[in-house]
Amino acid sequence: MFVGIDIGSSSSKVAILNENKELVGLAVENLGTGTNGIQIVLDKAFTQAGVTPEDIKYTVVTGYGRMTYEGADTQITEISCHAKGTAFFNCDAKTIIDIGGQDAKVIKIDAAGNVSNFNMNEKCAAGTGRFLEVMARVLDCKLGDLSDLAKASKKDVSISSVCTVFAESEVISCLSAGESISDVAKGAHRAVARRVAGMYNRVSGEPPVVMTGGVALNADMITCLSDELKTTVTPVSHPQLAGAVGAAVFAYEKYHKAKK
Amino acid sequence: MADYKALIAQLTAVAATPGKSVAAVIKETGKEAFGCFPLHTPEELVYAAGYIPVGMWGGRTEIKLADKYLQGFCCTIIKANIEMGLNGTYKDLKGVIIPCICDTLKCVSEDWIYACPQIPVIPIAYPMQRKIDGAIEYMVEEFRHVQAKLEEISGRKITDEQIEAAFAIYEDYRQAMREFVEVAADYPLTIDAKTRHLIIKAAYFMDKAKYTAIVKDIIAELKQLPKEEAKIKVVVSGLVSEPVEVLDILTENGIAIVADDLSQASRKFRTPARAEGTALEKMAGIIADQKGDTFLYEPEKYKGSMLIDQYKAKKADGIIYFQMKFCDPEEFDFPIVKKEMEEAGIPLLYLEVDQQIDSFEQLRTRIQSFAEIL
Amino acid sequence: MGEERKSSKQLLAELQAKHYADAQQAKAEGKPVAWSASIAMQEILEAMDIAVVYPENHAAAIGARKESMEFINNAEGRGYSTDICSYARVNIGYSDIKHAEAQDIPLPDFVFCCDNLCNTVLKWYENLAKDLNIPMVLVNTPFVYDDEVPERSVKYMRKEFDHVIRQLEEITGKKMDPKRLEEVMETSNEAAKWWKAAYSTAVKNPSPLSGFDMFNYMAAAVTMRGKKETVELFRTWHDELKERGEAGMGPWKPGEDEKYRVLWDGIACWTNLSTTFKTLKKYGVNVVCSTYPDIWNLRYGSNDLDGLVKAYAEHYANRSIKFSVDKMSALAEEFQLDGILYHSNRSCKLMDFRQYEIQRQVEARTGIPYVSFDGDQTDPRIFSDAQYETRIQALVEVMENKKNAKGGK
Repeated sequence: MFVGIDIGSSSSKVAILNENKELVGLAVENLGTGTNGIQIVLDKAFTQAGVTPEDIKYTVVTGYGRMTYEGADTQITEISCHAKGTAFFNCDAKTIIDIGGQDAKVIKIDAAGNVSNFNMNEKCAAGTGRFLEVMARVLDCKLGDLSDLAKASKKDVSISSVCTVFAESEVISCLSAGESISDVAKGAHRAVARRVAGMYNRVSGEPPVVMTGGVALNADMITCLSDELKTTVTPVSHPQLAGAVGAAVFAYEKYHKAKK
Repeated sequence: MADYKALIAQLTAVAATPGKSVAAVIKETGKEAFGCFPLHTPEELVYAAGYIPVGMWGGRTEIKLADKYLQGFCCTIIKANIEMGLNGTYKDLKGVIIPCICDTLKCVSEDWIYACPQIPVIPIAYPMQRKIDGAIEYMVEEFRHVQAKLEEISGRKITDEQIEAAFAIYEDYRQAMREFVEVAADYPLTIDAKTRHLIIKAAYFMDKAKYTAIVKDIIAELKQLPKEEAKIKVVVSGLVSEPVEVLDILTENGIAIVADDLSQASRKFRTPARAEGTALEKMAGIIADQKGDTFLYEPEKYKGSMLIDQYKAKKADGIIYFQMKFCDPEEFDFPIVKKEMEEAGIPLLYLEVDQQIDSFEQLRTRIQSFAEIL
Repeated sequence: MGEERKSSKQLLAELQAKHYADAQQAKAEGKPVAWSASIAMQEILEAMDIAVVYPENHAAAIGARKESMEFINNAEGRGYSTDICSYARVNIGYSDIKHAEAQDIPLPDFVFCCDNLCNTVLKWYENLAKDLNIPMVLVNTPFVYDDEVPERSVKYMRKEFDHVIRQLEEITGKKMDPKRLEEVMETSNEAAKWWKAAYSTAVKNPSPLSGFDMFNYMAAAVTMRGKKETVELFRTWHDELKERGEAGMGPWKPGEDEKYRVLWDGIACWTNLSTTFKTLKKYGVNVVCSTYPDIWNLRYGSNDLDGLVKAYAEHYANRSIKFSVDKMSALAEEFQLDGILYHSNRSCKLMDFRQYEIQRQVEARTGIPYVSFDGDQTDPRIFSDAQYETRIQALVEVMENKKNAKGGK
């Protein structure tokens, strides 16, 4: 068995592959680095796959918390893991967009799922998952509700600040000026999509474009990104788990390469 | 003579919708438009080349495409120019002149080549050692270089006579504007902050000769009216006094602009030309003789003392420093100005602005409290 | 045998100490002291025997000592924006506080500026001149947007050169000795030649030079190009490196292999020097070259003043994107690079605002992967360890893929 662990800033994910490179365990827990979330999610995935820690031949850890996690054989960046995970899902993607908690990434890949180039947000830029969390808090809704709220939007509200902190006060001003929550949520999505489009242009991104990471579950975000990039953006299956799956694939490959 | 209110409305409408105004002037004159980035761009040469020089001072636009070239901490005027170059707003421009006058503009004169290859760029580099022997000669040769590029793009030769004629039109414009800002200070209610700004800005989107004629009419009409008194009078300094919403907030608080030190306004026309020399030498002379300009080397840094002079001459109540976010040269000048104003006991309001602001609540609070202490 | 030959490291430390001590002594003796921009025509100052301190170098030392925030806070407290160059904020802060643990320097009697680096340094020095009520001496080098420095610029800069000499004669009350200037020009050329020769030893694969050492030696290239001792320093350093290279040694200790060779674009993160270095070394990444050190490879003919002013105007910071792309692509080949590391240096708009386009063009031309990270030369608030490490590691993974695809090595 081969384990991939993705420890993000706000959630932990695990994927397990068997000897035939088939996915047998997948679990997510909304607790990130520095919490006991990782143990909870590992237990869940082990139970699902019907295995015990003794069956594990190789473990790869990725994500924001990868440096401090000690139970893995190797740590690999989320950039390579998202590329690997995307290739595992048999996408013919040339560009991957991953909006993580701390970093948003645009990754260009070749057919084998190798990274050829990538770009990440400027520090403080309002293009990250953290930005959406802040927006959800200001709008007093759950992160998962943003999509439906935004879909009900009837009017363009522009949020132009490039910095999360300023954008927050901008949103508060919008609300006090009487803009609806729906319109502001849409504005926030468009702000993120604009920032990501900038990164996409910077590395000369090419379609087909897929999206990985938890934010890909936000359907309105996908719509906004597709609008900005002028191409259809498709979420991979299990977008939130793409990094963990990629890590598991790396675990599989590393183990077999070492054996040769 | 037309009613002054109609003339004012005509100019403010031109400035409020630059795209429409430029399209109109192209249609009316049959000439093509040529873009002029800030600052101190030799518009006379563009005019002499038979183009309508169009000022490029950014504007409200959603920044999307420009992120490909510029980071988030770039002056929004310049970033908006790149954005509008990329999104097609500037598609009718036959070329642009970009002065390499600050670090951002040096870079953008380069980025433009790759961002907007369909719109040729002519860079220009000014002498910072403006006063030394050799500076005028260098500047004239640099103008000649711009001239050659304009000839290449237009396929038309520019004669010295055409340059002299264009210079005369611009000199007439500058003189009229010096008078306008003086007269406008006496009519702060008719020419409120926003109206003043829009009238001055309209010059960037019209044929200069035609514009000057209208301004002269406005001046003549204004002078017939009884003088007005504003509740609060201020002198403004900075690159531009935008966004215009801020000017409305000034008016709401009874604040009128009675003099300015703005790159988009007085810095452009306050320096008279020398009596001697060719048009190109006189154009170089204006740059050499300009005082207190943020973007022209001046170790004495006269800006502060000039603001104090304006403040006294106009019996103003305070000074507003319009700091365009991420404009380094203006940011460098601020601490010096601040110290000088503190020493002179002159109230100074620092307003950090950018052209893409959507929310004015914080600025409103700052302006209102400034008005309350004056 | 007499005294054992000193290592370049010893020479560097001694010369640096002497450089600052000389400035202090000049001040104590009532001789004029200049604060100079880092790529200004030091030949003139050296020939007139004027003591010089380089604020950029000093700010870097303060940054490396991790005490820059004290000075930055002082400047920001006086109204300087967080957005302007942190070297300027540190130095302007120092001009008020007048003491740093890293190094004390005398306050200037005049400032000596050349804006070939950026317009920022001109504005910064204007403020020093105004604040401290001292003269400013400037050589303005118009931005070179065409392929070559135009004749009109050379003519203008020569006039400036003459003007500067007159200004300095007035300030010091001494006459410039053209013979002495010629000598200093010879020495400076020689120092520049050995500076280039030394860092070029990194062409060898593996490189005997660690790029972060180069950043250290760069201090001498900035502060004392016109001195005979500097020629000796760079020659010694070159010989040491050559010897290492011939012995097949890499940049670090035996057993610590150079696995990847990268170019560092931009100034170092002085406040995070150790993190930036150790993270790279951990993955076997050596900085074998940079766009920056070549700036001080200022060369001109014997007594060729036109050549001198031209050399100061034509380095890469004052040139076009096309020039930078050509230059970096050439470095990529010469130094057999595996990757390029772009420091998106918050302080340096002049470098930042061309960087994206340069990245794309260099990648298109060379196919070499790159990564950029946020940082700053002396403001520690910009750099983030986690962000840096993730990006470096991701670059390493891409470089590894490319190597494997090529059949490995």
